[in-house]
Amino acid sequence: MRYRDVRKRNESAWLLPADHRRTNQALREGMRTFGDDDEVDLVVVGCGAGGSTLMQRLARHGWRIVGIDAGPFWDPEADWVSDEAGSHKLYWTEPRTIGGGDPVPLGSNNSGRGVGGSMIHYAGYAPRFHPSDFKELTNEGVGADWPIDYADLQPYYEAIEEELPVAGQPWPWGVPHRYPQSPHPVGGNGEVFQRGALAAGIEARVGPVAISNGRFGHRSHCIYRGFCLQGCKVNAKASPLITHLPDAIEHGVEIRPDTMVSRIGFDERTGLATGVHYLRNGREHFQKARMVAVAGYSIETPRLLLNSANDRFPNGMLNDFDLVGRYLMVQGAPQTAARFDSEIRMYKAPPPEVSTEQFYETDPSKPYKRGFSIQTVSPLPITWAEHVAAQGHWGRELRERMSDYVHWACLGALCEFLPLAENRITLSEEKDRHGLPVAHMSYSQCDNDKMLVDAATTVMSEILSAAGGTDVITIKRYAHLVGGARMGATERDGVVDRECRAFAVPNIVIPDGSVFPTQGSANPALSIMANAARVADALATRPMPSATEVPAGAAA
Amino acid sequence: MSGGQAPEDRFPTFRVLAQAPAWDAATRELVLSRVRPPHPPVYLNGHEFATATALVGQLLDLDDELAAHLAASIDHRLTEDETDGWHYDDMPVDHDVWRQVLAGLDDDARQRNGTTFVELPAAEQHALLHALHTSQDERWHDLNRGHTWDLLLRYTCTAYYAHPAAWDEMGWPGPAYPRGYKNIGIDAREPFEQEDRVPSADPTKDRDDE
Ligand SMILES: Cc1cc2nc3c(=O)[nH]c(=O)nc-3n(C[C@H](O)[C@H](O)[C@H](O)COP(=O)(O)OP(=O)(O)OC[C@H]3O[C@@H](n4cnc5c(N)ncnc54)[C@H](O)[C@@H]3O)c2cc1C
Ligand code: SF4
Repeated sequence: MRYRDVRKRNESAWLLPADHRRTNQALREGMRTFGDDDEVDLVVVGCGAGGSTLMQRLARHGWRIVGIDAGPFWDPEADWVSDEAGSHKLYWTEPRTIGGGDPVPLGSNNSGRGVGGSMIHYAGYAPRFHPSDFKELTNEGVGADWPIDYADLQPYYEAIEEELPVAGQPWPWGVPHRYPQSPHPVGGNGEVFQRGALAAGIEARVGPVAISNGRFGHRSHCIYRGFCLQGCKVNAKASPLITHLPDAIEHGVEIRPDTMVSRIGFDERTGLATGVHYLRNGREHFQKARMVAVAGYSIETPRLLLNSANDRFPNGMLNDFDLVGRYLMVQGAPQTAARFDSEIRMYKAPPPEVSTEQFYETDPSKPYKRGFSIQTVSPLPITWAEHVAAQGHWGRELRERMSDYVHWACLGALCEFLPLAENRITLSEEKDRHGLPVAHMSYSQCDNDKMLVDAATTVMSEILSAAGGTDVITIKRYAHLVGGARMGATERDGVVDRECRAFAVPNIVIPDGSVFPTQGSANPALSIMANAARVADALATRPMPSATEVPAGAAA
Repeated sequence: MSGGQAPEDRFPTFRVLAQAPAWDAATRELVLSRVRPPHPPVYLNGHEFATATALVGQLLDLDDELAAHLAASIDHRLTEDETDGWHYDDMPVDHDVWRQVLAGLDDDARQRNGTTFVELPAAEQHALLHALHTSQDERWHDLNRGHTWDLLLRYTCTAYYAHPAAWDEMGWPGPAYPRGYKNIGIDAREPFEQEDRVPSADPTKDRDDE
C-alpha cells in the first residue's frame, strides 16, 4: 500500500490530531453549515458505514451535503469509556419490539446510534463476500441474485481495505487476495483457534481486521486492550468517524448530530423527494435537498420509509410492491466455548483475531446449501455471563463458573441465513419518545438455517476439543442485520436498482446494508462501505434525475 | 449442591481498584461511582426496592449490601428507561415487567407462607425462585415465564459484572486504557495480573447437577 496514494483520495487519517486528543476540534468547529432553506445537493440520513462513505466520495466531487445522525458527534477521549456497561450509550436503545417464530434479541449486539454508526462498536472483522454470493438463485436455487457481480465491487473492496486499513494474512478463500497490512500478533484465544484448527485439519488465517497494525496517518497502533466492542479510544480500529468523515468535513460536508429524521418530504407533482423532516432540540425542521440518501441501518431505514407514507405511497414510501422491510436477514451466530487448564485470558488482544472461511461455500455432500465462517470472539464479563446463564446457571453456581473466566476460549460462527419474505420490519403500535411508531422485527428460521447452526456448532466444538479444551458450551445468538430494502433487477424484485436508486422515486438512494439481497457468511461492514463507494461513483457520473426523468407513477 | 471452587478462593488478593490510577479519567470516574453509596431508589417504592434487593441477592448469592447496590443501579436504569433497546412483543416494556415481577413474587410467597417475599427465610426464597426457573409452564402470572427469567438475570448480571467486586473474583483487570496489554498469549500475564490459585478446580466437574 502506498500511503501517499491513499492520502490523495482520502485524507482522514492525516486530519486527526497526532496526540492523545483523538479528535480534531478545529476541523469540527470550522465545519461548513447550511440553512434549512439552502437546497443542498444531498441530505444523508445516518452517518454510519454506508452514509459516511457516500458523503466522503461525493464531497470530493463538489456536492453540497448535510449528513444527519440521531446520535452524538462522538469524541473518543471524552465520551467513551474502557468499560462494558458504560458503553451502553453507543447503542440504539430507543425501543424496538421483536417477534416471529425465532425472535432475535438484539441485546448488547444492537446497532449503533451516533456519528460513525454501528462501526463505532463493531468488532472490526473486515472480510469480503465471495463471488458465489451474488448468483445464488441461478446457481444453487436458493436465496436471490444480486443485480451486480463480485467484479463490480472488487475495485472498491481494494480501495476501502487501504483506507481502513485492513490487516491480515494472504486470503485463500473467495477471490484470493492480500491485505495492505501484515497480520497482528494473536492472544490466547487466537492461539487456541490456530492450534485446534491445525490439529483438526482446518485451514485458519489471522485477520482480516480493520485495525491498523502500526501507525496510519495520525492514528495510533492498537494497544491490544480488547475493548473493540466498546468503541476504540485509541483510534486504532476503523470506523467512519475517523476513516471517512474527517475528509468529508474537510471537503465541505456538514454533520448534524443529535437530530432525528422523522419523515421524507415528497412532492406529488414531480414525484420526487424534496428533503427530510427532522427533530432537533424538540423542534421540527425541514431540510431541503435535491436528493435524499437513507442510510439508517436495516431496521431504521425500512422504518423511516414506512413512517413516510403519503397519498402517493399509502403503504409507506417506495412500497408499491410490498417489499419495504422484507427479506431482512440476520446471520446465525452461535458461539461455542471450552475450558482449558491453562490461562487463556481471552479479554487480551482485540476479539477479532483469527478466522476460517473453509465452510463458506455449499458442500454438495451436505443436506443444506450455503455455509458459515468461524472466527474468534472474546466476550468480556457481562457478555460472558450471558453464556453462563444460558446454560441454566444462577446463584452461587453462576458465580463459581464466572470466576473460572481466565480459563475459557470462545469461538463464534456466522451462518448464512437465507432471505425470506416473512422476515421483516413493520411498524409497531408502540411509539418512541418523539411519538413515532417504532419498528417491529419478525424473524423465523427455515430448515436450512437451522441445519447451518448445528453444523457450525459441531465444527467449533471439534476445533476447541482438538486444541485440548473440555466442557464445551454453546449459546445461540444472531448478528449483523442486512436487507429490508433490497436491490433488484426490476421494481418487482427490489426497492432499489443496481445503483441503489429507488425505482419509484429516482432521487432517493439507499447506500446502507438494507440493500443486500443475500449476506454470505462474511461480516458486512466492508461490503457496505465498498458498495456505498460504488454507488457514489455511479451518482457522480449520472447525478441528478433531470426534470424529464419523472417516475412512472407520478404523472397521476 | 457444590463441588465447585468458592469464587473468593481463586484470586484472593487481587484488587482491581488498586489499578485505578492507571485508567483514563472518564473510565475511572465511572467505575468509582459504582462503589460509592447508591442513591435512594426513584422508580421502585421502598417495599419494591427491598424485594428487588432480596431477588438480586438470591440470583447471584450476594450479601445484602452488595445486592442493594445492584438493585439501586437497576432502579436507575428503570427510572431512565435505559433498556437494551428491544423487548419481546409478548412482553410489556421492561420497567413494567420489573414491577409485575416484584408483585408476583409477593403473591407466590403469600401462597407458600402467607408472607411477602422479603419476609421469607432465604432458603424459601431460593426454593421459590428455583420453582419459577424450572417450571414447565409457559406463563408465570401475566408474563411469559422464560422471557421473564432471562430478563431478570440479564439485568442482574449486567449490574454485578460491571462492579469491581465481581472483577476481583474473576481475576479480570477491568479497564485497560491507556495502558493496554503487553503480554498476550496462553499463560502470559501482565505484572498487574495474578495467577489463578486453583487452575485445575474446574467448576463444571464433580457436581451433582441439580
Ligand atoms: C456488536 C456488533 C459487532 C459487529 N461486528 C462487526 C464486524 O466485526 N465486522 C463487520 O463487518 N460488521 C460488524 N457489525 C455490523 C456492522 O457494524 C454494521 O453492519 C454496519 O455498521 C451497518 O452499516 P449501516 O450503514 O447499514 O448502518 P450504521 O452503521 O448502523 O449507521 C446507521 C446510522 O443511522 C443513524 N440513524 C438511523 N435512523 C436515523 C434517523 N431516523 N435519523 C437520523 N439518524 C438515524 C443511526 O444513529 C446510525 O448512526 C457489528 C455490529 C454490532 C452491533
Ligand atoms: S484492542 Fe486495539 S483496536 Fe481494539 S479497542 Fe483496543 S486499541 Fe482499539
